[in-house]
Amino acid sequence: MSTFRAFILTTTVILAMLRTIKPKNARSKRALEAREPKEVEDPRTVIFVKGTHAGEKVDHAMKELMALKRPHAISFSKKNTVRPFEDATSLEFWSQKNDASMFVLGQSTKKRPDGMTFVRMYDSRVLDMCEVGVEGWKSMQEFKTAKATPGHKPLLHFASDLFDTHPRLQQLKSLLLDFFNGEIIDSICLKGIEYVISITAGPLPDSPSTSSELPKVHIRAYTTRFLSSGTRVPRVELTPMGPSIDLTLRRHQDPDPELLKQALRRPKLKKQDIEKGLGNKKKMRNLEVDEMGDLRGRVHLAKQDLGKLQTRKMKGLKTSRDDADESDESDEDEGQVRRKRRKV
Amino acid sequence: MDVSDILAAHEAKQKAIVVEKDIPLEVDAGFLTVTDLNPIDVESYNEDLEDYLLNTARDGVQTLIASLFQLPVTPSEDGPVAKLPAPTTLLPRAKPLPKPKPLTKWEQFAKTKGISHSKKDKKVWDEEKQDWVDRWGWKGANKATEVQWLTEVPKNADVDFDPSAQARKARKERMAKNEKQYQQNLARAQQAAGSASSSTPNATSNVQRKRELDKTLATTRISTASMGKFDKKLDGEKKLRGVKRKFEPAEVSSSTEKSHNLAILSKLDREPSAKKAKSGGDDVLNVRKAVRFASKGKGSAALARQSGGGKGKKGKR
Repeated sequence: MSTFRAFILTTTVILAMLRTIKPKNARSKRALEAREPKEVEDPRTVIFVKGTHAGEKVDHAMKELMALKRPHAISFSKKNTVRPFEDATSLEFWSQKNDASMFVLGQSTKKRPDGMTFVRMYDSRVLDMCEVGVEGWKSMQEFKTAKATPGHKPLLHFASDLFDTHPRLQQLKSLLLDFFNGEIIDSICLKGIEYVISITAGPLPDSPSTSSELPKVHIRAYTTRFLSSGTRVPRVELTPMGPSIDLTLRRHQDPDPELLKQALRRPKLKKQDIEKGLGNKKKMRNLEVDEMGDLRGRVHLAKQDLGKLQTRKMKGLKTSRDDADESDESDEDEGQVRRKRRKV
Repeated sequence: MDVSDILAAHEAKQKAIVVEKDIPLEVDAGFLTVTDLNPIDVESYNEDLEDYLLNTARDGVQTLIASLFQLPVTPSEDGPVAKLPAPTTLLPRAKPLPKPKPLTKWEQFAKTKGISHSKKDKKVWDEEKQDWVDRWGWKGANKATEVQWLTEVPKNADVDFDPSAQARKARKERMAKNEKQYQQNLARAQQAAGSASSSTPNATSNVQRKRELDKTLATTRISTASMGKFDKKLDGEKKLRGVKRKFEPAEVSSSTEKSHNLAILSKLDREPSAKKAKSGGDDVLNVRKAVRFASKGKGSAALARQSGGGKGKKGKR
C-alpha cells in the first residue's frame, strides 16, 4: 500500500513538474510542435550523465563519445545519484524534460569499476539497457592524426558472427547502431564520408576458468582515405583516429516485449511506396513509378509466331488456285467476285 | 591487337577494390552500416589486435563504399550526392507513431463529396497600391471596405446608415462564426479521442452510461408522491415495473409501533459515520460551524473583536 502511495506521489510530482504547457506565443508553439511524435524521426538525443563517481577513464570516454555524437548530445555537468537498474524514474523525467531518448551513464564502483550504461527510451520509458565496463581506453589526442569534421555521419562496421547469433551482442549492436547512426536519411554526399566506427566482438573465451563467457568488444574509429583505383569505386585506406575503447559486457535489461512491439511499429506505407516494393509486401515487379511520378506497367506477351504474321498481300505469295479449289468451291467463288470488284 | 595487357591491368584494378570473404558481408546502405559475420580469426586476433581490427575494418568499409558508390547519384555543389535506399535493420522508435489529426466537420464533408482543397495564399495583389498586401490582419485586404473614403450607399438606406460600421459588423460576425466552428471542431475531436481512449470497446462505456441514465430516470419517477403517474411521458419510454405506492397500515400492534419509534430515536441519537471521522472535539457541538454561524461567516477573530469589543467601526447589524 505504501509503495503504491509512493508511486502515486512520484507520478503526481512528475506530472506537476511536467504540466502540459499551453503555448503562449508562436515561437513556443513551434518548439512544442517540434517535440511531437513524427513519422520519420529525428536522430536520438543522447544525455551523458555522470554518476556519484565516474572515474577519469569513463569521464574521458563519455566526453569523446559525446564529441562524436554532437550536436545531438546533452551533457549533465553535475554528479547525479542514478541507479538505472534499480530505479528509472529520474531517467524518465530527464528524458521528458530534455526531449532525449537515450542515455549514457558513467558510474564507477568497487564492485563494477569503470561502468558505462547505455539506456534507450521509448515514449519516455526505459526500453532496454546495457552496462559495459571500459577496460582499454585510448583518447583521440593520443592519435596524432587528422580528425573528422564534427557533425559528419560515420560509417559503421560490425565484425563478428556473434552479432547475429548472441542475444547480448545483438542488443549491443542495436544500441550502438542507434547511438551512432539511428537517423533515417535519404541521401548522403559521398565526399562527406570521413570516418568509420568499427565495432568488433572478440572470440568467445573458451577456457572455463574465466567467469564471464562474454567476449570483449573493441570500438575503434578510423578516418577514411579514398585512393583512385581506376574504376568508379575508390580503394579505401583507414587511419586510426581514436577514441579506441575496449569493453566488457556486464548487466543488461531486455526490452519489455509489449513495449518493444509498440516501438517497432512502422507507419503505414503509402500506395506509391508499396508499388516501389518497400515494406514487407511483395514487390509488384511489373509496376514501377518513374521519375515523373507516373505508374508504368509492363505486360507479358507470349512468343509470337512469325509464320502467321500478316504481311503485304501479293499474288505470288497466294496459295495456288488448285489447293483452294480442292478445299472449297463456294469460297473460291466469293474470292473471285471480290477480286473483280476491286479491279473495277 | 593484344588485349591481355588491358585485361591484366583491369584485373589488378579490381583486385584493389574487391574483398573476398567466406561469408559475404551484409550491407545496410540506409544506415551506412556493414556487418561482417565471418567468425573471428583467433590466431591473428591474439597476435596483433590493432592490425587485425584495422584490416577487418578496411575490408568491411571497402565493401560498404563499393555499394555506396553504386547507388544513383545526383551532382551538387559539394560533389555527388548518393540516394540511399531505406534501411533494412529494424530499430525501435523513440516516440510512438503520430496519431492522425481528427478531421474538421468541413474536411469530413469535403472528403465524402470528393472536394479537393486548395490553400489560399496569405497575400493578395492590390491593384491600387500596386503591391502585395495581406489577406487579413494588420492593414489586411478584408478591411478594404471599412477604410475606404467613399462608399456607395443603398438607395433606401437610413439617414444614419454607416457603411464602414456595417462592413465591420459583418466581418466581426464572420470571425465569431469561425471561432465558434473552431471550438466545436475541437470539442468534437476531444470527444472522439475520449471515447476512443476509454479502453477498447466504446460500446461498454455506452452501455454503462445508458444504465446510469436509466437508474436516474427511475429515481426521478418514484420521487413524486404519485410515483410519476402524472409525469410527462417521452416517446418510447418504457413503463417502470414493480413500482407501487406502499401505505403503512393505520392500525398496528403496540409492540410494532414501539419498535418503529425506537428505531427512529436511535437514528436521531447516532452521529453519521462520515461526520464522526471529521469533527475533532466535542461530539454535540460542531465548534467550527458554530463560530461561523455566530460570526456570520467572518471568523473567530472578528467575533472576539466584537465581543471583547472596543469600538471598531459602526458594525452592520
